[in-house]
Amino acid sequence: MIAVVDYGSGNIHSISSAFYMLGADVVVTNKPEDLQAATHIVLPGVGAFGVCMENLKASGVIESLTEEVFEKGKPFYGICVGMQVLAREGHEFGIHEGLGWVDGIVKKFDVDESEYKIPHVGWNDILVTRETPLIKDLGKDKTFYFTHSYHFITDDEDLIVANCEYGETFPTAIQKDNIFATQFHPEKSQENGLNLLENFLNWKP
Amino acid sequence: MGKINLRRCSRCLIPETHETIIFNAEGVCNICLQQVVKNELIDWDKRKLELDALIEEYRGKYSHDMIVPFSGGKDSTFTLHYLVKEYKIKPLVVQFDHGFMRPQLRENNERTFKKLGVDVISFRPNWHVVRKVMLESLLRKGDFCWHCHTGIFSYPMQLAVKFNIPLLLWGEPSSEYTSYYSYDEKEEVDEKRFNRFVNLGITADDMYGMIDGVEERDLDPFRYPALRDLKKVGVRSVCLGSYIPWDVRSQVNLIKDELGWEGAEVEGVAPTFPYEKIECFMQGVRDYLKFVKRGYGRTAHNTSIDIRNGRMTREEGLKLTEEYDGKRPASLDLFLDYTGITEEEFMETAQKHAVEPWVPELVQIERGKKLPDYDQWDKTFELIEK
Repeated sequence: MIAVVDYGSGNIHSISSAFYMLGADVVVTNKPEDLQAATHIVLPGVGAFGVCMENLKASGVIESLTEEVFEKGKPFYGICVGMQVLAREGHEFGIHEGLGWVDGIVKKFDVDESEYKIPHVGWNDILVTRETPLIKDLGKDKTFYFTHSYHFITDDEDLIVANCEYGETFPTAIQKDNIFATQFHPEKSQENGLNLLENFLNWKP
Repeated sequence: MGKINLRRCSRCLIPETHETIIFNAEGVCNICLQQVVKNELIDWDKRKLELDALIEEYRGKYSHDMIVPFSGGKDSTFTLHYLVKEYKIKPLVVQFDHGFMRPQLRENNERTFKKLGVDVISFRPNWHVVRKVMLESLLRKGDFCWHCHTGIFSYPMQLAVKFNIPLLLWGEPSSEYTSYYSYDEKEEVDEKRFNRFVNLGITADDMYGMIDGVEERDLDPFRYPALRDLKKVGVRSVCLGSYIPWDVRSQVNLIKDELGWEGAEVEGVAPTFPYEKIECFMQGVRDYLKFVKRGYGRTAHNTSIDIRNGRMTREEGLKLTEEYDGKRPASLDLFLDYTGITEEEFMETAQKHAVEPWVPELVQIERGKKLPDYDQWDKTFELIEK
């Protein structure tokens, strides 16, 4: 069973129906007992870093989430802002503390906005930098769907499994042990996205 | 028949009206160029090892090792024979009976099933429904074979889910005949492929909305299973021809020798190809429809395969094509009686779906002769309305 964490941040319908379509049983929840029962945990997220963190705190889910993922080592997937909040801190409308599960911070795109419109919305190629069971068999087409104005940066190169270029190069997929996260939206990325979600379902970190 | 000369591939005889065709600077079509990939670039030894591994992965774990969808034509007969003989698998043979099986085919099937010792499920959908959807797809798409296209590819998938048999092995890959997929991609026989070129862009739900007097469940045989259900079973659905090099002529010889498989004459097909499309007595109508729409028939297709495989020159092929393609088949009488339309309506519909730049000219069409088994074909035209 897949637990999709519900903390009042963004559209979780498309990600849960994508998992459902792939044959998984999905529970959308913020209850500790559901997270305990789940085999895989997904943290979606849309909107601002600070708001997402506040909602996470308010939902009271952080403690059991940390326990299941960080201590018990359950396969975890953070999507979009769900990736960003894993960082130490986010610089969006002030500086906010993140979950700090991985080393890094989240900052705004630093690009020439006359050439690169912000937010970065639409399809873009990813460049896989490290082999991972989660991103494989992509075929000729390596595009995924993005929508964001901020992105993750890290000094820990080992964390990065794929980069993306949009005026600057930024990490678009990271993995550390059982923790996996992408800036792009797999649930909106057609076949490549569905493959990735299926790989996540089959993942035994 | 036709006002213009179609541009044909400079190597084979497939014209510009063929689906997915593109010519390179030398005028060679992409289907011929696929053969270069097939013959020179693919490591077939490696592919065979992949097939070994695939079959072992599923062997002995379910009621049957795999489902082999089966029409009884040359390709599926070869596929079944190859898998049983080479791998000693226990298959569930699934046959979608479109309603037009020829006597020769039934005899072949009987022999094949008995000689090989296999379990078989054959399913025939309700004729009242089939008749309606045949007419509807003819009128809308200029192709009356919707029930067969969709049923052949949906029904075995449904049984995979129903009986929890995850592996399906089909016969030839589509890259042998078209360029929807190339030989260097592994063609999964999945819903994407189904929607891409099998179902004429009409799903079972669409069809339900198009015709009257049927229940939604009447269209279930033509419905692709939900991805969720397929994933739950872990369905893998691939073509044998992605793993071993397909060679029609030698495969036909093999099934003739080993299974006593016999070909038959087909309307609009040169006797040089006594193995092609014997599974349906409406094949002549289908190929005629294709000729009206696209300016070429089955002989162009058959000769092109032989030309690609170096068994015939282009000149010989062209001669046969001109002689056999485009005759008005005797089976059209039957088709008109089944569907209750006139020949004028049939031709008008076909013309509407002509593929540019082909312009059919419907005068002085030569009539083809009745096939020897014509009199044995079913002629139930009056139905009891429920």
